Amino acid sequence: MPDDRKPGGVPWRRWSIALHRDIGYAAAALTIAYAISGIAVNHIADWNPNYRVTKTFTAIAPITATEPSAVVAAAQEALHLAEPPRSSFRPDPGTVQLFYKGTTYHVDLPTGKVMVEATQRRPVLFEMNQLHLNHAKRAWTWIADAYALALLLLAVTGLFVLKGRLGITGRGAWFTVAGLLPVAYWLVFLR
Amino acid sequence: MTLIRSSALALALVVLSASAAQSQAKDYGKPLTLKAKTPISAILQNPHAWHGKKVQVEGTIVEVCEERGCWIKIASDKPFESIRFKVEDGVITFPLDAKGKQALAEGVVQVSTLTKEQAIAQAREMHKERGTLAKFDSTKYTKSITDVQIMGEGARVK
Repeated sequence: MPDDRKPGGVPWRRWSIALHRDIGYAAAALTIAYAISGIAVNHIADWNPNYRVTKTFTAIAPITATEPSAVVAAAQEALHLAEPPRSSFRPDPGTVQLFYKGTTYHVDLPTGKVMVEATQRRPVLFEMNQLHLNHAKRAWTWIADAYALALLLLAVTGLFVLKGRLGITGRGAWFTVAGLLPVAYWLVFLR
Repeated sequence: MTLIRSSALALALVVLSASAAQSQAKDYGKPLTLKAKTPISAILQNPHAWHGKKVQVEGTIVEVCEERGCWIKIASDKPFESIRFKVEDGVITFPLDAKGKQALAEGVVQVSTLTKEQAIAQAREMHKERGTLAKFDSTKYTKSITDVQIMGEGARVK
């Protein structure tokens, strides 16, 4: 590497490259996690990036009981569920909902139609999204701020890694301008 | 190799401690400040009297916004009733698996009048999200309705 230091000066390019290299290593894990999560939540209108929700249908005999606890007990028995639900709800006189961990049974009492709604967290992706969207709050806010600062340093130091024809005064300038185009497009057409 | 093994162990410990924390009560948004709870049935019985007032309510979470976790429905103390607890997108996000858990929640009651068309649009959206057993029947909505919800500030879910 050429020594860019003027006599008595600071070797700023060497520092820039060292910072870029080491911050790059440190930020790699979070960058991968945030990138994957970014794509996932970007398409939230098309799918649920945090949970896999499946709705299946089955049928039991109509339930004729009227007393609230008897309705729940009858539905539990008809569905062959060993444990009582952690809670239940009657949204209207003809429906009961039984809540179990990860599963909700919606029972239409007069017809016996049942919708079984199972909710499962998407492993790894759920945790990545929680971090990306800062649902953890508290200390994570500081970690995320530090990460953002690291990205800022990566971007700035990255501009000065190379010198000459391939550097920021040559080919690098065109790529930097290309990177500015989406921002310019936003400012001109979408704002 | 030792470094990779240590990193995997550390990651496993983080995931395990996160799982353990999930089984406890979890706070969302601002801390709860009110000392007295208001029955949801009282709000629904005379909503205009509660408009703009801050309340604390308690009940089972019977629905969660599937898309963004930006609202929950809390069961009333009376049958066949529930109230929507709406929070600002991104500020509070309720997990989908909060369904069936107990919520102690605080916020400001908001009462608004929806036109027949707005009421149908809102009900259709809710129906689509919930994917209920029955077919959506828009003929049930013949006139404007009073919509009551709590603009949520904070909640404890356990």
